[in-house]
Amino acid sequence: MHRRGNRTMCIVYLIAFLFSLTSEQCSSKLIEDSSQSFMERMHTGKTSFIYFGNHGETLINVLQMIAEPLSQCAKLSKSHLSDQHISVSVNCSEDAIANYCTGEKLMTKAYLFRGSEVLRSFDIDTVFDVNAIVSHVLFSVLFNEVRYVHTPAELLRVESAAKQNSDIVVGHIPVLGLPEHRALMEAAFVYGTKYQFVQTTGTLVLKHMGVVDPSSSQAWLWFLHCKGVSRRSDPCPSIPMRKPLNTINIHTFLQLMEAPLTEAVLDPSDVDVVHMHLGVPVLYLFSQLQTQQLDWATAQTLALQLRGEVGVVVIHRDGPNVKTSLKYNAAYRLPQEDVKYFTLNSAEGVVKLFKEELLQEHKFEDEEEDEEHWSDLDILDDEVSESVYRDRDLMLDLESVIELTSDTFQITVTQNDITVVLFYFKWDAVCMAFIQSYIEVADALEGMNGVKLAAVNCGEWTDICSDHNVTSFPTVLIYRPMAAAQLYKGMLGTKSLHRFILLSLVSNPYLLSSSAEVMSFLEGDLYSKHMYLTPVRVLGLFSSTHDMGVTSFEEAARLLRGETILGLFAHKEAEQWVEGLSVNLPALLVSRSPGVPYEVYSLPSSSPTDLVSLIKQVELDRFPELTVENLPWYLELGKPLLLLFIGKEDSTESMKALAEIKQLLSSGQLDSFLPCWIHLGRTPVGRSILEKYLGFVPPLPVLVMSRLKTGEEVFLFPPERPLMAKNILQWIHDVENGQEQPAGLIPDGKWGPPVPFFDFLAIMDQEAPTYAAQRAPKMKTGGREDHREQKHGTPNQRQTPHPSPNPQAPRQHSEL
Amino acid sequence: MSVIQRLSRLLYVLSLVLAASGSGLHGRNNSVSHEYCVLGAGPAGLQMGYFLSRSQRDYIILERNTGPGSFFHIYPRHRKLISINKIYTGRRNKEFNLRHDWNSLLSDRPDLLFQRISQELYPSADDFPRYLSMFVKELGLKVKYGADIGRIKTSDLNGNQGYILTDQNGVSYQCSVLLVSTGLWVPQQVDFLGSDLVEGYESIPTDPEEFKDQAVLILGKGNSAFETAQSILGRASRIHLYSPSPVRLAWQTHYVGDLRAVNNELLDTYQLKSLDGLVEGRLEDIAIVRREKDGGKRRTAKKRSQTPTEGKEQLYLTLTELLDDQNGNNISKVTGQNLPGYHTDNFSLRQPYDRVIRCLGFRFNFSIFDGSARPPQSSGARGRLPGITACYEGRGTPNMFVLGTAAHSRDYRMSAGGFVHGFRYTVRAVHKILEQRYHNIAWPATELSISQLQSWILRRVNEASGPYQMFGVLGDIILLRGSYCEYLEEFPLQALPQLSALSGRLLSDHGLLVLVMQYGLNQTDTLGPGRAESEWTKAWRSNFLHPVLYYYNTLPTEKDMRQRPVSWPLPRPEAVHHMVEDFLTEWDQPISHSQPLRHFLEHCLQTDLRAFYAESCFLLSLTSRTPPLFCRQGYLRKQGIVGNSHLWQHAREAGLMADHQGDTSVSEYLKHAGAAVVSAMNFDL
Repeated sequence: MHRRGNRTMCIVYLIAFLFSLTSEQCSSKLIEDSSQSFMERMHTGKTSFIYFGNHGETLINVLQMIAEPLSQCAKLSKSHLSDQHISVSVNCSEDAIANYCTGEKLMTKAYLFRGSEVLRSFDIDTVFDVNAIVSHVLFSVLFNEVRYVHTPAELLRVESAAKQNSDIVVGHIPVLGLPEHRALMEAAFVYGTKYQFVQTTGTLVLKHMGVVDPSSSQAWLWFLHCKGVSRRSDPCPSIPMRKPLNTINIHTFLQLMEAPLTEAVLDPSDVDVVHMHLGVPVLYLFSQLQTQQLDWATAQTLALQLRGEVGVVVIHRDGPNVKTSLKYNAAYRLPQEDVKYFTLNSAEGVVKLFKEELLQEHKFEDEEEDEEHWSDLDILDDEVSESVYRDRDLMLDLESVIELTSDTFQITVTQNDITVVLFYFKWDAVCMAFIQSYIEVADALEGMNGVKLAAVNCGEWTDICSDHNVTSFPTVLIYRPMAAAQLYKGMLGTKSLHRFILLSLVSNPYLLSSSAEVMSFLEGDLYSKHMYLTPVRVLGLFSSTHDMGVTSFEEAARLLRGETILGLFAHKEAEQWVEGLSVNLPALLVSRSPGVPYEVYSLPSSSPTDLVSLIKQVELDRFPELTVENLPWYLELGKPLLLLFIGKEDSTESMKALAEIKQLLSSGQLDSFLPCWIHLGRTPVGRSILEKYLGFVPPLPVLVMSRLKTGEEVFLFPPERPLMAKNILQWIHDVENGQEQPAGLIPDGKWGPPVPFFDFLAIMDQEAPTYAAQRAPKMKTGGREDHREQKHGTPNQRQTPHPSPNPQAPRQHSEL
Repeated sequence: MSVIQRLSRLLYVLSLVLAASGSGLHGRNNSVSHEYCVLGAGPAGLQMGYFLSRSQRDYIILERNTGPGSFFHIYPRHRKLISINKIYTGRRNKEFNLRHDWNSLLSDRPDLLFQRISQELYPSADDFPRYLSMFVKELGLKVKYGADIGRIKTSDLNGNQGYILTDQNGVSYQCSVLLVSTGLWVPQQVDFLGSDLVEGYESIPTDPEEFKDQAVLILGKGNSAFETAQSILGRASRIHLYSPSPVRLAWQTHYVGDLRAVNNELLDTYQLKSLDGLVEGRLEDIAIVRREKDGGKRRTAKKRSQTPTEGKEQLYLTLTELLDDQNGNNISKVTGQNLPGYHTDNFSLRQPYDRVIRCLGFRFNFSIFDGSARPPQSSGARGRLPGITACYEGRGTPNMFVLGTAAHSRDYRMSAGGFVHGFRYTVRAVHKILEQRYHNIAWPATELSISQLQSWILRRVNEASGPYQMFGVLGDIILLRGSYCEYLEEFPLQALPQLSALSGRLLSDHGLLVLVMQYGLNQTDTLGPGRAESEWTKAWRSNFLHPVLYYYNTLPTEKDMRQRPVSWPLPRPEAVHHMVEDFLTEWDQPISHSQPLRHFLEHCLQTDLRAFYAESCFLLSLTSRTPPLFCRQGYLRKQGIVGNSHLWQHAREAGLMADHQGDTSVSEYLKHAGAAVVSAMNFDL
């Protein structure tokens, strides 16, 4: 790394922009960070936005890109903003900050730090456009200004607080950092003092607001008229914004919300209202002196119904400049068009007229979207297929894997101690994704005695696959001479399979003949032999080899080959291993790792398969770190999760939190839960889980309760409270009593078809109307042969010589 | 006496001897009883014999001759089989290779294939009975040779209709189920004046020298007519083929019973004007008359001695109506006025012929069936075949099934049911129906989890030979049952309304899918531009054989079936999916084949069938109460597909997989920089 830097004479600068938003303006400073100053920045606890880069062309581009949002930010800044600091740092170093400045990630990521914790990372191509920077920067600046709600209940609370006080603008942003997000944030800047801004990402709020299809990732904005409600018990009337979310549209929309009804004494074409400038249709209603009050009421109703979409102007006909003929009582004007007059019969008629015109526009857009959608049909929408497809150039190096054929199969599987056979299809993306892992395992095990990895292409050797009853693909079977094939039931990944094969080589169970051996098995030499495979040891303790349970235990051990290391101690000394414990022989002793107290369970006499499930169950960690590979084992328990998210650095706080929960666990107070934790360093996908749960990633560690099976709510342990056993218990108690508001929701979305299907029938009906139609019942029915006969019956008759006067008939010499 | 008559007499005598010895052993007991009687040891009879033997049923195959497949000792007359025996396919998939092996019968012996007998692409006809003998011997099938059944009548067996067969020795066979696989032996004839002057395909000489410099008129335009023409093409002076319909080329119609290119040399000599030709006209209207050469009125007797063939009679084609005298009676002496050439000077067939040969195909022998045991004549195929139901049972003759070529009325001129490479599968299907009906053994089904369905369909589409050969007739049925499905292979589609009764498999309210191989609309020139479709969105316009999936909520009724769209094998479904035809018949490409199929299945099952890496399933399992099916049936059953960073990278670049931060972390950096990092516990397991 260093050498490359020197060789290329790459001059790397550490530069940082630091701009702070003060009470009057945005002042920005370009800070060039050295590793030292970067370090210090990390410890200030302030929010900083950092980009790591080399000095050069890219940097200049980046600087330009950043300059713009900064100046915009200066324009937008409002007095209420606190003096938080946001530093935008562009820095890099070839030495110290190696993790950020090296590897593929260089120049492709920027990070938002709060102190030393990465709040978010952004792909450079999304973050370094103006939209994203502004939205992300403002997003963090306005963290306390804009209310975040996740549930309708929270929204209602904001509403009731705002009633008779201020109006509310609610924005639903499905994806943070996109232009819609920027638009909302900018609006919040400008109108933040005037309206209460609320942002949500939850779909429940969408449902609450009456959106029909909450699953579509569309941004929404509503205006809630809370200021004008007459009684506090009344709901705030809400108006959705029907146009795409951008700054102009929001601005227009908010303007329209301000003044829905105007009066004038001019002819419609002369009336100048704000709506015309906003590109919004205007409806003119003519009012007469006699019916003024009634007209005004009608106009108000209409104005309310059309608010946000149409401006309403009441024109007093008695004005001298009003020249409209008396036969019309209304007019409208679309943007960039002339005034059109018409006669208003009912208020509903006008609403319908406008809504349908507006709807038409919508339909048009939808169709366009559809067309675009169909052109995307040739893009793979399946992550496994697509990733395999992208490798279609790649020749798989199957050298370390034996490709089996009908001729070689039988010989091969009996030759080795263990022959692992993968059954696969070449056209199946899942198989082809797995085969990469399979080759990795084969490479890792190459040269190991007694183990061979082989593969059968079932597209070719269909007979082998049928003979071995393989109906699911990919399938991995383990063959041992003179034994039935064993199905590999673990994760289809390199690590799991590799471990399984190595564990399969361990004799199971270990027959232990003395207490010394037992000791060795649990934490001595015998233990360390396989320590790298698994730290867990399970020991069957029987008072003698004649115990009925021994054979059953041995059979269970065989079934668990590759999964668990089991020991068997059938000896009169076995008694002393359970001495002082409330368990009698036969017993099961579980050691999670040396030095940790054993757990002991009594062993009922049962069938080997029951024993297998018992052993698997006791093997489970009581406070597991959830990983991608082990989650299914724990979800099976069906308990609500008490999930602690731990940051990448193992901070004291995290360690304390873990210890606190462990303490609760050992006191038995968490029995109805599955307490577990996710380490975001080892399991980075945990961050996405937090984002889905809460809509954002709070400072870690964070404790969350998720009732996957029983409810849809996610509860967040209040971040301001210390993560202490006592507080946790109290919180759990509050949650159970319904005193805690959920912080997020787990959607019970049905996984329907991800794309509309390509309807061949509809296309047939369109292009060949009779082709796919059932025959009419009156028609002569019958099999296809009848039809065929009829079809070629016609030409026959045409060419048939007529029996009567024409003797020339048979000359039909058809020159086909 | 013709060859065939002589031969059959010889065989008859032989069989008499054999039968006598057989009955001698059994004493005078003249009645035998079997659960299944298979009539005829041809390919269909032996194929059924194999399945009956495999399921250990009480059966007997009755054969009048001394060996199996005796039809092939005589036919085709010119001894070349036109069924493809393609040994090298570049593949080792046994099922796939059967798509290109039209002669082998089905069995569980991987080496019991026709290629052991012959390596020729178009093998000699003699090889086929040899193959059949090998099939009988190696599988130990129970065939009784020399039993010439002359009479079949119904009888009541414990309340069920059974059949009693009587052979030439008076031995009777009592059968609960009769399987008729007698083939087509009776030459099809058309009655017209002078038909006695016509030679039959079954008895013509096969030595081309016998046709030297002869003008030959062949009635018929099928493969036997062309095969005959081709054999004498180098010797005959003029060959004309006459029949009602124009020639139909197998490579245009995709029907192997139509004229195969192997036999079509005459088309060349016709189109290149080398004195051969094709003419269309009704057979019932013609007459063949005999006239002496130059049979016109002679002006002089001068040249009499110069006519070498003098006195030899020649045959003229004329029309019946020209032969009628004023009273409507046939005249006795043919004059020029009775010939069409007299009236129309350029009449195509005005020249006389030395021979007229009838090549009109064969018909089913109905004569051995007594009244109630006799199946009706089929409505199609000019009544030459027995009429049968969709499950190959004779119409009105319960417990009697028709197999093999005789069962071709179900797919006449449409699919391959009249040929070995087709009916070997229908026989298998009928056997499964028998097992269900008489032994309550349900149609074999493979139970698959829904996440495996797509790859299973692709497997069948890419290798299955049954639906490929019996396109439009046999199709795979997928009974949807929620999270899993049952996959039934090669069910006769026309019997779909009776699926439950015939297969013993019940339907659920999740509906069913049917996988059929089909040719397309065929509206374009078979060899012209635009004959093939490569755009999957236009797959329904595919012309070549391609897979089609039908989705039904509920089982179609008989009425739906009757009213199905013209030229469709099945009624209009809820949804249909065509997999676009493929030049290589490999339907395994991700964009054109797999993904559209997946989208169709997703629509039918109303579920997301995408595959997800374990990491995505991890995320979805924790953030959704019901994760997608693939995660439920894979990951959550601890069988997640993990992948590797290389693949994840691809998926992330494609925007299909969520990206969660880099794998770098500040703490790592801080450690590196020597900052104080607090770590009290080691969490590495």
